[in-house]
Formats: sequence, C-alpha cells, structure tokens
Amino acid sequence: MNAIIILFSLLAVFGCSKETEPIEYGKDQCAHCRMTIVDNKFGAEMVTSKGKVYKFDAAECLVNFLNTGKVPESEAETLLVTNLESPGNFIDARSAAFLISPKLRSPMGENISAFSGRNAAEKFKEQYTGETYDWNSLVAMFRSR
Amino acid sequence: MIRIRLNITVLLITLLTASVAGSKEITVCSTCGVTTIAQALAESSDGDVIILKPGIYKEHSLTVANRIELRADEGAVLDADKKGPGITIKHDSVRIAGLTIRNVDVSYINDLSAVMVDNVSGCVIERNVIEDTFFAIYLAGSSMCKVEGNRIQGQAKTESSSGNGIHLWKCSAMYVADNQITGHRDGIYLEFVSSSSIRGNYSGRNLRYGLHFMFSDSNSYSGNTFENNGAGVAVMYSKFIKMTGNTFKNNWGESAYGLLLKELYDGLLEDNLFFRNTAAIHVEGSNRIEIVRNDFIENGWALYLLGNSYENKVTANNFINNTFDVSSNSSRNNNFYSENYWDKYKGYDLNRDGTGDVPYRPVSLFSVILEKSPESIIMLRSVAVDILDAIERVIPSVIPETLIDDRPKFTRYSNDRDKGTS
Repeated sequence: MNAIIILFSLLAVFGCSKETEPIEYGKDQCAHCRMTIVDNKFGAEMVTSKGKVYKFDAAECLVNFLNTGKVPESEAETLLVTNLESPGNFIDARSAAFLISPKLRSPMGENISAFSGRNAAEKFKEQYTGETYDWNSLVAMFRSR
Repeated sequence: MIRIRLNITVLLITLLTASVAGSKEITVCSTCGVTTIAQALAESSDGDVIILKPGIYKEHSLTVANRIELRADEGAVLDADKKGPGITIKHDSVRIAGLTIRNVDVSYINDLSAVMVDNVSGCVIERNVIEDTFFAIYLAGSSMCKVEGNRIQGQAKTESSSGNGIHLWKCSAMYVADNQITGHRDGIYLEFVSSSSIRGNYSGRNLRYGLHFMFSDSNSYSGNTFENNGAGVAVMYSKFIKMTGNTFKNNWGESAYGLLLKELYDGLLEDNLFFRNTAAIHVEGSNRIEIVRNDFIENGWALYLLGNSYENKVTANNFINNTFDVSSNSSRNNNFYSENYWDKYKGYDLNRDGTGDVPYRPVSLFSVILEKSPESIIMLRSVAVDILDAIERVIPSVIPETLIDDRPKFTRYSNDRDKGTS
C-alpha cells in the first residue's frame, strides 16, 4: 500500500514537472519543421510554464516557432539551444551567444550556431567568419524578415 | 531532363576527345614509376588520364586541380584509414570511375567525405564503391554533374555520427541515377538544388530519410525505390517537384512516413506505389499537389492530410487494405477527391457505368477519434468502433461533410505498379 502511495506521489511530481527533456536523436521530431532531429550540434528546446516540452532540430526553428505566435515567448519557462562546442548539451538560449556563418551549416539553412558565451562565438567567428548575435537580436532579426 | 542529358553528353564528348588529343596516360601501381595517386595527380595536366591498377592505396586528402580522368581498375582501393577525407575535385569536367574508397572518419564540424566536388561545372562520378565513410559523395556549389551507378554503403549506427550518402548543396542541373545507398543518415540529400533529376536509385536502411529535399525547386525524382528507411522521402520547403514511378515500402515506426510533404507547393505525384508504410503520405502546409494513379496498399494511414493543406487533388488512385484511407485533424476539407478506387466502399453501381452511385467518405469516424486521443488505438477493430462507423455513415456528424469522393471507382485500376506487393 505504501509503495502504491509513493508511486502515485512520484507520478504526481514528475507528471507536473517543468523539467527539460533530452532530445532523442533519430526519434524526436522538430515541433516546427517536422523533420526528424539528427544533428546533435544544433538542437533546441522550449519548456512552457505549463510544462509542455517542444523540441526543435535547430535554433532557427525555435526562433521561427516563437515568431509564429502559436506559443508566445512570455509562456516559455525555459529556452534551450545546443552548445556547438559540446554537441548534445543544452545551454540557456537567453544568455547564449549566436554566430551565423555560412561555413557552419545548420539543419534548416540559416546556419545559426550557439555558444556558451560571447568569447566562444568570437573565437569561432575568427575561424569561420559570420555575424554574432545575442538571443534578443537574433529573434528581432528573424521577426523583421 | 533532355537538357541535362544533353549537357552530360557534351561533357562526355569533351572528356573523351580531350583524352585523345595531346594528353598522356599515367599508370599507378606499386611497381610502376608512379606509386601513389597523390604523385599522379601532381604530375598530371589537363586532359590526362590516370589509370589506377589494383592495390590498396593508403592515401587521403587528395585534390584534383586539373581536368583529368581517374580510371580505377577493379580492386583499386583508396583507403583513407580514418586520417582525413578522400578526394576533393576542384576543377571542371573531371571524371572518377571504378574506384573503391574506404574509411573516411566521422568528424565533428567538417563534413568529411569520400568524394567532395567543390564549385565546379561538369563532372562525372560513376561506378565507384564507397564503404564506411562519413559522407560519401558531397557536391557543393556545382552544376551539370553526373553521379551514376555508385554503390555506397555506410555503417550508420547513430544519426549524429553519420553523414549523408549523396549530399548536394547549392547545385543545379545534376543527374543522380542508378546508385545504391545504404547505411547513411539521409540516402540522398538536396539543399538549395534546382533543375535536377534523381532516378532509378535504391535507397534503403538509411537512418533518417531515403531522399530529402530542402529549399529545392523544380526537381524530379522517378523510378527510385525507398525501403526500410527511418522515413522514405521528405520534401520540404520546395516548389515544383515531380515524383513519378517510385516505390515507397516498409517505412515503419512511430514517426515513419513513406513520403512527408511539408510546405511543398505545386507538385505532381503520379504512378507511385506505397506499400506497408506507417503513413504512406503525410501532408502538412502543402498546396496544389496532384496525387494521381498511385497505389496505396497495406499502409497504416494512406493519406494523412493536415488542415493547413489546400487545393490538393486526389484522383484515380487505388486504396487497398489500408487501416485508414484518409485522416485529417481538421473538420473542414480543402482538398478534392474523385474517381479513386476504395476497397472499403460499400456502395452500389446500378447503372453499371463503373462508378459508384453514392459518394464515398474516406475518413472513418474512428480515425477522427484517434486523431483527438491517440490512446484509443487500443479500440481498433472492436465491434463498438464498427457500430460507431456505421452510424456515422448514415448520419454524418463528425467527419468533414465535403470530404467525399463523389465518383468512387467501382473496380480497381490496373496500374501495374502493384506488382511488387505480392
């Protein structure tokens, strides 16, 4: 009986959590473009304040998804992008630095890479050329198109 | 199509005549004067032919900078030994034929490949065997190349550690035919590619898609077979794609489709066979596609059309033994169905004109319920569901009212394309 109570309370806790979920490469689909997510250098994720998880194959899909207004950014509890320097690992999108470089081709043709900080992005810019952005300027740039 | 063919013929003639007039042959073998491919390439000039005799050549990161032809005898192997990419072509009108290339390692940022074609006009890559490489043939910023009869075999285990078999980026007027591609991420991948033709290829057991179009307009693929891939073909963000005579089969799994159409405008899908796929065609945000004379046999869903797709025409197809013929997430219908053969049609043909006298509603009530609560799949084939479906047929209430085939064909079309299903 106790075990059942524990099980249910566990379910209740996990059922309502706003936890992020790792992307299952090769299985999960992008919530925006519908493509199977395969490239672990470029994935992105959003968790809403209600705990719903949206996964994306690229930062541009996350940005474009937000700009469609289906889920407003104000409802996004967590926004995550993949750190190019550490494939498969997320960093906070709002504090990440971004580089758009034609030499670093991302899955959706916009060639956005994300980095843990300005310095890392600048370092890659030296080698791969391109333009750096922060989260807000990236979203604004896509919205204005 | 004819133009591409012509261009390739011209290219071939140029290559052939070039090798006759004032050019030399360089033979490479372990006991020859020239023992490495790198040395042969360094000594070559425009119009030369390099003949590679059988043997294992442990070389990598080779660059072709002249208009040459590399002819490999059977048993001539370029083994990159996981140290770097294979050959990069940087000159127009180069031909590489009959070569076996092996062991190009997975890399983190660079798309290492067995053959890289970099900004050229005209090339022929044919009858090569490419084994265990990250990317196999990678063409970037090029036009008028023929990629034919290559056998490409990857060992893709995880999707992020595998590249694409034939990868085309910013190309035009390419001809990709009769290749066999297995064990890669996408068998054939096109991004920003136009006026190209993909035909007669076999693409199977690739981890993601057999063939994948991204932002690629005015292309065609025909006579290809896509089998046992993560999903068969994905056509995304493209216009004017002609898809004819292909076979999509055994693409099974949770997110598996025979064909995924995402924001495709103005396509023709004709004479294809869809056999045993989870969803034969998944259509999302796609308009003005003509789906004509295809065979949909033994699929989970034959057509899954989302409500944001408009003016698609579904005519003269066979729908046979599919669990669901048509499914949609919308209560409105913006597409057109006519003169299809539906094996589930229970109407009659009193005037014997070959067309059923009452319309057919290809969306079953249960598929609508399933769309709203996927867990209800457990009720599939239960009596309760049959009763609900029967009631819905008599008094339609849930199914989009205009989603009907007003002239359902009474007998099956003999399309020939269903031969592979027995």
